Amino acid sequence: MTFDWSVVWDHRVALAYGTVTTILLTIATMAIAVPCGMAFAALRLYGAAPVRAFATAYVELFRNLPLILVVYWAFYVLPILTDVGLSPLATGLAALSLNVTAYNAETFRAGINSIRRGQVEAALALGMSRAQALRRIVIPQALRRVLPVLASTWVSLFKDTSLVSVIAVAELAYVSMQIRAQTFRVLEMLTAMAAIYWLLGYPQAKIVDWIQRRYAVSE
Amino acid sequence: MEFDFSVITNNWRFLAYGVWITLVLSVASGVASLAVGFVIALLRLRGPRWLRPAVVFYIDSMRAIPVLVVLVWTFFALPILSGATMSPFMAGLIGLTVHLAAYAAEIIRAGIESVRPGQTRAALALGMSSAQILRRIVLPQALVRMLPAFGSLLSITIKDTAIASVIAVPELMRQSETVAGQSFQPIEVYTFAMLMYFLILYPVTRGVDRFYGRVAHLGRS
Repeated sequence: MTFDWSVVWDHRVALAYGTVTTILLTIATMAIAVPCGMAFAALRLYGAAPVRAFATAYVELFRNLPLILVVYWAFYVLPILTDVGLSPLATGLAALSLNVTAYNAETFRAGINSIRRGQVEAALALGMSRAQALRRIVIPQALRRVLPVLASTWVSLFKDTSLVSVIAVAELAYVSMQIRAQTFRVLEMLTAMAAIYWLLGYPQAKIVDWIQRRYAVSE
Repeated sequence: MEFDFSVITNNWRFLAYGVWITLVLSVASGVASLAVGFVIALLRLRGPRWLRPAVVFYIDSMRAIPVLVVLVWTFFALPILSGATMSPFMAGLIGLTVHLAAYAAEIIRAGIESVRPGQTRAALALGMSSAQILRRIVLPQALVRMLPAFGSLLSITIKDTAIASVIAVPELMRQSETVAGQSFQPIEVYTFAMLMYFLILYPVTRGVDRFYGRVAHLGRS
């Protein structure tokens, strides 16, 4: 068996583009999914009954669907339903955002619910309005508790961006598999792909561990 | 827009086979990753000192690499190294197990560590061996505490089997792709697949929560 690792170096520019796309996709998805997640959490906690039901249904649906199916669904169904032709990249971004928004909504809801009722009651007794109590008492504490969960969602998302390769978004997994198909250097390219993911993901997993230790809640 | 769901009824055998494979692969990789994860957790906690860094390295690496990459590597690259070809189902089972066992190991480790050390010392003082302590004192409490995390791991397992479609495992996702491609009716087929996955996953997550609510008191100490 002979391996020719030069194929990896020869395609370094394409791999670098793929890597950058993966990272940008992660950042863009989180930038969309954090505010949207907050909005859905707020709808579930403070919305009127029908709004709450809708938000609950959305969160439960997308938490119980495989992401790869959402990606296919967005690719084939969104253009027909909305009559808007999206690029694969935009479709992938939409699918990832739909998925991560549901997870973030649940994270924010749990974070707000984790602050004991007594604190809000105490704030109301001191003469604060509900909005004030939420803004000045509940949310600052909830954010600290939510941060470690958001961090691990970030790492999951970073890995899940590989799934949009099935609709030909030119991120790291797709680019690597394209080069594999062109050069037939299967083992070399797939190992290089795994190594690049590992190099990027391993420090992130370690940072998540650190954040979780740093913001651990003990009651 | 016209919807024609006869494509589902016309291909129901083909799709039902996909549901069956999804269930079989989920159960098989769920059970296998629990067994492997248990061994890895014990190695990390009680194994020889020189082995522990390797175990930690394996767990953290699996947290860093996408399951798609593990599956594709297992199916396409591993046979080149080992010389033995594998069916897609076997590759899917191995890849999913290698990936999920790391998560299972962390859950099991956290569960075992959550039992206060005082209990282990008390059992030692009573003359139990460390195997006895694990079996009769630590695990009965730890297993109950691990239940919610196992529940989410099971739902992650079922969702991850869909990724095995990229290596042509004939599970629900793959079968849906095939039907959608042949019939040119992706909306109906993928919407049906969504419904099926939701019907499988929602009762699982709810069922585990409910079961845990019933047995949670057994894990308290």
